Amino acid sequence: MTEDYSPFLPLSPATLHILLALADEDRHGYAIMQEVARQSEGQYKLGPGTLYDNLQKLMTQGLVEASPKPPAHDDPRRRYFRLTSFGRGVLSADVSRLDAVVRQARAHLRTPRRAT
Amino acid sequence: MRTCYRCLLWLHPPVFRREYAGEMLWIFDQSQSQGALGLFFDGLGSLARQWVLRSGWWRVVLTLSLAVLQVVLGGFAVLIFGHRHIVEPAQDPSVANIAEFARNSVIAHQPLTVGILMYLTVFVTGGLVIMVLGLTFWVKSFAARRRRVLHKVR
Repeated sequence: MTEDYSPFLPLSPATLHILLALADEDRHGYAIMQEVARQSEGQYKLGPGTLYDNLQKLMTQGLVEASPKPPAHDDPRRRYFRLTSFGRGVLSADVSRLDAVVRQARAHLRTPRRAT
Repeated sequence: MRTCYRCLLWLHPPVFRREYAGEMLWIFDQSQSQGALGLFFDGLGSLARQWVLRSGWWRVVLTLSLAVLQVVLGGFAVLIFGHRHIVEPAQDPSVANIAEFARNSVIAHQPLTVGILMYLTVFVTGGLVIMVLGLTFWVKSFAARRRRVLHKVR
């Protein structure tokens, strides 16, 4: 059965970056912020307010869930988050959408402008 | 600045505060060197979003804003269209003439009768009922659509 991800698309920049940061491994809030800064090469900085506000929304929507328990060596007070399979599907759908936009943009930019 | 940030966190809705305030303060301590003011404004944004968007208060705010807008527009309509039947139209229809309209308008020359009060009450109440019903149906359909998507997942 194919799932309909359209109500969740397009993702906001904050949501996209958070889901991307959680795509490869479970992370706690501060690690998500650092990963977002790393992925965007410092161009997009997420504050704790924006981060937890979005995490709460994503958990309500079922895109992200709390990871059962943190790794043994880490501070037990930190909460870890992970992507659900539905969240992964939504992220993939948005990446495909962005990919199509980029292809369109490249095609349009390659075409020489005609004088009107 | 840390105390201000703690106060800001304390102002968040209780559910959010219980879940995330501790971690947010910890992150604030960790990244304070990168700009405490930026983190404070980020917290202000989160505070506004939590109360207005996430807690459902936006429905009340939207309904009240629309109600105020309707009453204001209704008042202007009475001033402008009611005035036309009594006096000549103003030479310069600018905002400055609105006070003149009010002095010469139908309402200004009539005592506030039961009939006018009834008309105003029915007009305002009807408008409010239509707005609340419309908003309720819209929110219900939105929630049902969201539930259908989530149901497919589980």
